[in-house]
Amino acid sequence: VIVVVGTGLAGLVAAVKLAEGGERVVVLAKGVGATHLSPCTIDVLGYAPDRVARPLDAVADLADDHPYAIVGRDAIVSAAAWWRDSMGFAGSLDENLLLPTAVGALKPSALVPGTMAAGAGPDPVCVVGFRALKDFHAALLADNLGRAGIDARSVELDLRPEGRVDANSLAFARAFDDRVFRDAVVRALSPRDGERVAFPAVLGVDGSAWADVQERLGRPVFEVPTLPPSVPGMRVAKALRERLRRAGGRVLLNNVVVGAERAGERVSALRVRVGLREVAYAADWVVLATGGFASGGLELDSRWQPREVALGLPVSGVPADQRFVSEYFAEHPMGRAGVTVGPDLRPEGHENVLVAGATLAGAQPWKEKSGDGISLATGHRAAELILEARGTAAPSPGAPTTSPAETR
Amino acid sequence: MASLETDVLVIGGGATGAGVAWDAALRGFDVILVDRADLAEGTSGRFHGLLHSGGRYVVKDPVAAEECVAENAVLRRIVADCIEDTGGLFVVTPDDDPAYGDDFMEGCRKTALPAEEIGVDAALRMEPRLNPGITRAFTVPDASIDVWKTVWSLARGAQQHGARILTYHRVIDLHVEGDAVTGARLRNERTGEELDVAAGFTLNASGAWAAQIVRMAGIEGVGVIPGKGIMIAMNHRLVNTVINRCTLPADGDILVPIRTVSVIGTTDHQAADPDDIPPTQVEVDAMLDDGERLVPGFREARALRVWAGVRPLFQDEKAGGSEAIDTRDVSRTHAVVDHVARDGIGRLLTMSGGKLTTLRLMAQDLVDAMCRQLGDERPCMTETEIPPGNEDGEHYAIGSRLRAREKTMQDEQLICECELIGRSKLEETMRRRETTILDDIRRSLRLGMGPCQGGFCIYRATGIEHGLDGIDAATASESLRDFLQERWKGMWPILYGDQLRQARLDDWIFQGLLDVEHLP
Repeated sequence: VIVVVGTGLAGLVAAVKLAEGGERVVVLAKGVGATHLSPCTIDVLGYAPDRVARPLDAVADLADDHPYAIVGRDAIVSAAAWWRDSMGFAGSLDENLLLPTAVGALKPSALVPGTMAAGAGPDPVCVVGFRALKDFHAALLADNLGRAGIDARSVELDLRPEGRVDANSLAFARAFDDRVFRDAVVRALSPRDGERVAFPAVLGVDGSAWADVQERLGRPVFEVPTLPPSVPGMRVAKALRERLRRAGGRVLLNNVVVGAERAGERVSALRVRVGLREVAYAADWVVLATGGFASGGLELDSRWQPREVALGLPVSGVPADQRFVSEYFAEHPMGRAGVTVGPDLRPEGHENVLVAGATLAGAQPWKEKSGDGISLATGHRAAELILEARGTAAPSPGAPTTSPAETR
Repeated sequence: MASLETDVLVIGGGATGAGVAWDAALRGFDVILVDRADLAEGTSGRFHGLLHSGGRYVVKDPVAAEECVAENAVLRRIVADCIEDTGGLFVVTPDDDPAYGDDFMEGCRKTALPAEEIGVDAALRMEPRLNPGITRAFTVPDASIDVWKTVWSLARGAQQHGARILTYHRVIDLHVEGDAVTGARLRNERTGEELDVAAGFTLNASGAWAAQIVRMAGIEGVGVIPGKGIMIAMNHRLVNTVINRCTLPADGDILVPIRTVSVIGTTDHQAADPDDIPPTQVEVDAMLDDGERLVPGFREARALRVWAGVRPLFQDEKAGGSEAIDTRDVSRTHAVVDHVARDGIGRLLTMSGGKLTTLRLMAQDLVDAMCRQLGDERPCMTETEIPPGNEDGEHYAIGSRLRAREKTMQDEQLICECELIGRSKLEETMRRRETTILDDIRRSLRLGMGPCQGGFCIYRATGIEHGLDGIDAATASESLRDFLQERWKGMWPILYGDQLRQARLDDWIFQGLLDVEHLP
């Protein structure tokens, strides 16, 4: 059995790819992953450090220890093709799309959900906001687009989910699934000829309200991600977990990996805390995708010692002093900290452990706008590597082949 | 060039300056108060929030202790709403000499400080997180005080008596005619415009910057020693009583519960430049160890922020001794510098030394000295007059904001979840203060001061600011970037544990989601 640790983008991608490749997969995770925070556009490479127009070409110039350099160009191409085809995303690795953010900056993304694709381009925009949604400010977005040379105006509607004056994105998404609410929104708007219409990314919990709103407005409609919770991120997580379930894989939440049982360089089982007890899950392969410092996969203690929390893997890139600099938007000395791996995504001394996603050293995901791309490419690559190894090697005798068994 | 006239020009909008403006305005003087930045943005806004009982000084600095004993009682009466009556404990930790407790009690007796020794068991029942190895404990009437509320209350009170308050107006020159100071030239730091103020008298309440101010009148050698101290805010109230180490004043010997956090302080090192006092890693490490001594497990708690303040310690060169000194040995009392006697310059007085707890007394002494020079004695009224917002005489209680909020929970948007700030309050404050600087709003409302350090509310506040009349997107975007930088300033030297995780989430929002860096 293959155990994937972590249920963010990297973990889910690896798990789905493995399960659809015929492997038995279980995903162990502390909680729902960072998908619920992330806009879940696949930003492959946006800045390096200048704005990148052609992400696949720009990847070639990254340092050798960057996760993209480690997996290589072909792996990125393969992962992107797999994602595009199976997830119904638009865009390509050949050219970044510039999509407006909720503050009105134009952010480079490679692959984007169909509901956001019309955000790219020079045509005029009408931005629709809601007074009750404090996590999306239409006028600020529109006026900053105007400063960037895109003709934009804004409309703020006072339509409230269930009459609430303070509702988050998920509450609005549920409201949009209600035909009556959608009718009220559409009636309140009169888009002009040639205009695109931007909404906060709340057009239905599963995104299905988007097509309906677009059809009835008769203009191209696109979503713009809001502050968390991220409805588009939830859609991605739901779609991947559904695929995993159909392929026979399972996700077990509230399962916190706290260590491993080892035989030489092999991890034979993971020690997992479930509630107040500790159990062991046998594993033939482990994909570690617990995230970086934001998700809790990596930690730094008050004596400035970093730690990889699940397996205690060595963390590189944390200087003894001056870990950050005083300028917020500068490059920070520990900005690339993480777990170092070889070309096969394995940390030194680990035969059957592969690391994917934000746990990896070598990238500055937010600064580069590369986080989702790295999670996709390395999660997908980890699965490919395991599938290749399993396809060529005969099953080792005595290796557990039953479903994950509680051994203690 | 525009010009203004006034009886009294007060330079410095910290606690002292606000107190002076309030005092002078109550005595019927026409007052202008100026500050190069916002009110209480300097030393006053960068302290731990302790309203001293005086216990810290009873052994080493009894005059300062006596002043604290008296003024603690006065402030509790006149700015009641700004004060939380936490009470205080002096505890002898395993690293301290139990015999100092006897010196401490003797000092309290001599200075009339109402202290009482209680059993260690009783102290641990009061504060269960305290180091169980303490050997003695004493109760004192310490409290915590919200400095921004205090300063704004005094400033508003002064305004009600006709005072004019000019924030973001830097003094760029003092006007000297003959042997007297006759006013100052100001520069509006937002517009760059210059402005002359003709003043009958000038009161220099600029604290650690006092020497820089009087140098503009050709006065050299006023010995203000900037004494740097760092403080760390912890995410929770690790204690609900002010905890002092019962020992001679040392680093990291005070832990103050204030609003929703607790603040540990402080250090004391001479700084060369009061505007260049970044906390260092060595100082942070030492402070965390000091915290561990008071509250075991301190290092496992979540540290929000670190900052440094700069005390205006006074040691005059003309009174001898200019070599490097241990700033801890300089008295915490205050003194009025008489520039007629010292420098032959009239109509100018400087306040030196002092501390927040004695701000009212400092103001009284300064204005009294001015009255004497003017030959126009008017009685001080600040011991009894109540500045606005404190009329009901009730102390602040933790949870009062939540209680108020619960009444409007269904009717209003909550913009800052950490500090429970509703939308109407935010909009009203932005309009009233006529500022687009979100850090000004922070000092008024505590915007962005909670655990997420603005992760969610900064974007919301920017959008709301942009919705106000006349605020364009360029201005709002600049406010957003400036406030991000301002929040980062206090976070980066102390990012570890959960706060590092929080900071990375904030990066996710501001860089990964919004891409604020690349706004036009």
